[in-house]
Amino acid sequence: MFEPDGLAAATEESVAARAAQIKAAWRRYSEETAPSKAEPGLRIGIAASFTANSLIPFAGAPLAGAGFEPSIKLAPYNQVFQTCLDYKKSFDAKCDVIVLIYRLEDIALEEITAFLHGDAEARRRASAKIDIFVSALTGLRDSFAGAIMVNLPPFPATLPAHGLSLENPLGLGALHRSLVAEFLEKTGGIRGLRFFDLDAVQRECGRAASFDSRQWYLYRQPFTDAFLLEAGALLSRMITATRRAPKKCAVLDCDNTLWGGIIGEDGLGGIELGDEFPGTAYRDFQRLLLYWRQQGVLLAIASKNNEADVWEVFEKHSGMLLQRDHISAWQINWNPKSENIPKIAQALNIGIDSLVFIDDNPLEIDQMRFVHPGVHSILLPEDPADILSQIQRLADFDRFEVTAEDRQRADMMRAEQQRETLSRTLTKEDFRRSLGLRLDFFLAQAEDLDRITQLINKTNQFNLTTIRRTLDEVHQLMNSPSFRIFGLRVSDKFGDYGLTGVIIAGISPDQAEWTLDTLLLSCRVLGRGVETALLAALAREARAGGATQLNASFIPTAKNAPAASFLPDHGFQSLDDNRWRIALAQIPEICSSITLVRGVSRGRESDASPA
Amino acid sequence: MQALPRVATVFSEVLGIPPETVSDETSPENTPQWDSLNAMNLVVALEGAFNVRLSTKEIVSMRTVGIVRKVLRAKGVTDV
Repeated sequence: MFEPDGLAAATEESVAARAAQIKAAWRRYSEETAPSKAEPGLRIGIAASFTANSLIPFAGAPLAGAGFEPSIKLAPYNQVFQTCLDYKKSFDAKCDVIVLIYRLEDIALEEITAFLHGDAEARRRASAKIDIFVSALTGLRDSFAGAIMVNLPPFPATLPAHGLSLENPLGLGALHRSLVAEFLEKTGGIRGLRFFDLDAVQRECGRAASFDSRQWYLYRQPFTDAFLLEAGALLSRMITATRRAPKKCAVLDCDNTLWGGIIGEDGLGGIELGDEFPGTAYRDFQRLLLYWRQQGVLLAIASKNNEADVWEVFEKHSGMLLQRDHISAWQINWNPKSENIPKIAQALNIGIDSLVFIDDNPLEIDQMRFVHPGVHSILLPEDPADILSQIQRLADFDRFEVTAEDRQRADMMRAEQQRETLSRTLTKEDFRRSLGLRLDFFLAQAEDLDRITQLINKTNQFNLTTIRRTLDEVHQLMNSPSFRIFGLRVSDKFGDYGLTGVIIAGISPDQAEWTLDTLLLSCRVLGRGVETALLAALAREARAGGATQLNASFIPTAKNAPAASFLPDHGFQSLDDNRWRIALAQIPEICSSITLVRGVSRGRESDASPA
Repeated sequence: MQALPRVATVFSEVLGIPPETVSDETSPENTPQWDSLNAMNLVVALEGAFNVRLSTKEIVSMRTVGIVRKVLRAKGVTDV
C-alpha cells in the first residue's frame, strides 16, 4: 500500500510499481468504496487542455488513502475556457474544488511558433491569450465559491525548439519563463486562486522523463507515469490543505536526529554537527526545522538524555543552528516518550493529534504509533544523506497562507510560558487581573479573512458548530446583508495573542434576532474569562443593532467538548437537543478585569509586536 | 487445469475483469472496460510484464487480445 503522506516517493520503489499500486487502489476505491457511499465527501472537477484521465487515479488514490471520499469528474476534452465560463455545464453545482490545467502549446501554439520564427509581435498576441484566460478565471471566481486551482504550465514538449538548443536562453526557454511570470502576475488579484505548479513537477522529474510521446500522439495524453505520480501527489496535497488543519508541532528526538552520534557517550566534541558529512546533513535538517518554525510550526524535544547534556549542545556547540529559544516545550528524561508526549501537548495547550513525532529509533516510533495513533510518527531515514529530501516531502505542515499569527506563534508561546509562571504564584482572580487582558472586538474587513478562514478551518475545541468554510465562502458571507462577521484580538501585558476569536452571526430580516452561525476561540485564549467577554461584546453589538434575541446551536463533534457547556453556563435556554436561545437583555456586561475596545481591524501585517 | 496465458493476467489486472473471461477474441467492442484510458494503461502494463517496447504502429494495431499475443510473439516473447 502506498503511503498517503507522499513520503514514499523518496523510496527506492520503481515508478512502474508505484503507478500500478495507485491505479489498483483507485480502481478498488471506485468500484467498491465509492458506490457504497450516498454522497461523495469531496467533489473535484478537472478541466484540461489535453486528455487528463490518467491524472485521476494519481490524485484520487492519495486522497482516498488519506480518508477523504473523493469523486473526480473530468470536463470534456479541451474545455478549460468553457468550464470557466459555466462550470455547472461540466461539473456538479455542488463541486468543492475546480482544477484547471493547460499547456502553453495547447492554448498559444500559433503565437509561440511565430515568436520562434522571429515574429516579435507574436509575443504580444501570446499575452492577449493569457489575458483571455485570466478574464475567464476571474469570471469563474465570481460564480464559484469553492477552491480554484490552476496550473503553472510546464516547458512545452512538442515544439521545434528544444530546451538544449543553443538559442534556448533567449528563445523558447526565455519565452516560457516570461509567460509563466506574466500569468502569475496577471492572476495575482484573483482571490484565493491556488497554483498547481506543473512547471516545478516537470523540473522534479526532468522534461524528457515527463513527456510520453506515444501517448501524446495516440491519445493526446502528454505525460509519463513518473510525471503523473508527482503531479497527482501535489494536487492531492493541495486539496488536502483546503480541508485539513496543518499539524502544529514537530516533536524531535536529539541523538542521531538533530545531530549525529550520542551526546551522553560521544560528548560535545564527538557528535557530528560540523562542516563535514554527516554533520552537514544534520545541519540541513536543522535548517528545515527553522523554516518550519518560521511558518508557524512549534518545535519541541522528546529525548532520552540527561537534560543538561542536551542544553550544553544547544548552548556550546558551534554547529547548532537551532537555539534553545526555538524550542517551545521539552521533555528530556528517561521516561517512555509515549508518556512524555502528552506533557508536551499540554504545555503547548494543543491537542495530541496536532503533533508530529520524528525519531531515528524504530522502536520509539512503533511504540508511539501503538500508544498514540493520533500522533503522526515518522522514522528518520537511516542514511543521514536521505533526511532532508525525505522529510521535506512531509505534507503535515502544509498551509497556503502564512499569516502574521503563524510567524509569531513560537514567540507567542514564550509569552505563554511567562504567563504560566505568573499564574502559579497568584490566585485565579488575581492572575486574571494582573494579566491586564485587552479585547478588541471588531467587524471583520477583507484583510482579516485569511486569518479568519484559517481559524474557521482549524479550530476544533472551542467551536460551537465546527462549520468549515473556504475563503470565498467567508467573503460571500462578509458581503451579505444577512450576516456579520466579527473578529476578536486579544492581548495582555506579556504580548499579543493576535486574532483568536471569530463570530459569524445571521441576522433576521426584521433585525430582532441574531443567530450564531459560528462562534469559536483559539484554545490559547481560553479559560481567562475571554469566552464570557466575547459573548458580552457580541451582545453589546446586537443590542446596538436593535436585536432582542440571540439564538445559538451546539453541534457536538469528537473534539469540541470544551465548548459543550458554554451555552448553558451563560444562561441560554435549551429549545431542543442542539438549539439554544437567550434574551439579549440577560447577557451581563463585561467584567471589570477585562478592557474591551471596539475597533476596526488593524490588518494582518500591522499585527502586534511579539512579546 | 491449463495455466492461463500471461497476457490474460495482464488484461485481467488492468481491466479489472476475471482472467478466465479473457480470450483471443476479447476486444474494445465486446469489453466496455477496454476504453481509451485503459488502452493506455494496457500498453504500460504489457511493456512492463513482457519487457518490450511497443511502437505506435503496433499499439494502433492491437484491437484484440489475439493480435496483442501475435505482436508480442513477433517481438520474440514466447510465453504469452
